[in-house]
Amino acid sequence: MGLVRRNAPPPEETAAPPTTGTLMRQLDDADPDCRREAALGLGGVAEAVPALLRRVAAETDPLVRDAVLTTLAAHDTAAVATGLGGHLASDDAGLRTAAAEALATMPVSVPAIIPGLLADPDHDVRVMTAMVLADLPHPGSQTWLAQMIAEDDHPNVVTAAIDALLPSLELEHHDLLRAAVQRFPDDPFLRFTVEAALR
Amino acid sequence: MTDNRPKVLVVDDAATVRLYHRTLLDEAGFEVAEAANGLEAVEAALSTAFDLFVVDVNMPKMNGYTCVETLRSETVGTPAPVLMISTEDRPGDADRAYAAGANLYLVKPVNAERLARVARMLTAGVAA
Repeated sequence: MGLVRRNAPPPEETAAPPTTGTLMRQLDDADPDCRREAALGLGGVAEAVPALLRRVAAETDPLVRDAVLTTLAAHDTAAVATGLGGHLASDDAGLRTAAAEALATMPVSVPAIIPGLLADPDHDVRVMTAMVLADLPHPGSQTWLAQMIAEDDHPNVVTAAIDALLPSLELEHHDLLRAAVQRFPDDPFLRFTVEAALR
Repeated sequence: MTDNRPKVLVVDDAATVRLYHRTLLDEAGFEVAEAANGLEAVEAALSTAFDLFVVDVNMPKMNGYTCVETLRSETVGTPAPVLMISTEDRPGDADRAYAAGANLYLVKPVNAERLARVARMLTAGVAA
């Protein structure tokens, strides 16, 4: 009996990966899963940064927003730092805290925007800046927090900076903390925070 | 021996704030537990019946507004009062807190007397 030649199976059809343009359009899709996949798919695509920054401002789904911020933070560029820094003043608590968390993972580009944030007239923005500096892996973080404690004129900013500095508090900071109490003698929480820190 | 003091959950990402509120509320006669963000608070609320929640706004993982909304949702469904305390004093912050389900919104810092008075008011009727 002769060999029967079996027909080779047809090659599997594989869909081509979506193009950058397709993914950028999908950032505005009505389906949040589609938007999230698009955001993650745009990792490393520099030309997508403006679209991602627009999306993060408009996004209402926390999971999609986190995906967009994860992709943006990985770029760690001046454009991303500036774009996300503006959200520290957002009226949306979810957006401003998520932006702060993302900025804290961007040690290359964030230091350039810190002086501007420290000088922001809105003390809530300066409180959020302390939140960023608390986790920013940068050698200047301690110095900026110390500057906030020494110079900021709002007690909530000073206490936020003290709290952020606590894990890395050193002997050299003790006089700084005592001076902060002197500057705000009527603030019970600041006094409590300093006493707890010096214990 | 059963602890009949009203149970309070202090929710704040700042360790010093948690310690400050714990100290003040403990002195005021409350049993105090802590959570470092909204997610931890929701987990705690699922296993313990708290009489009061003291919740910050700006926290990682889950912010205070979302935390309060979740506490009020069917998932948790706690009827316990919620006191939100935040540095945020922009117009609309208190409205947002009340829309989420908070009973009262105060701006930091809150002194000892005021915190104790408000906590007692919000837990009036709970055995102490």
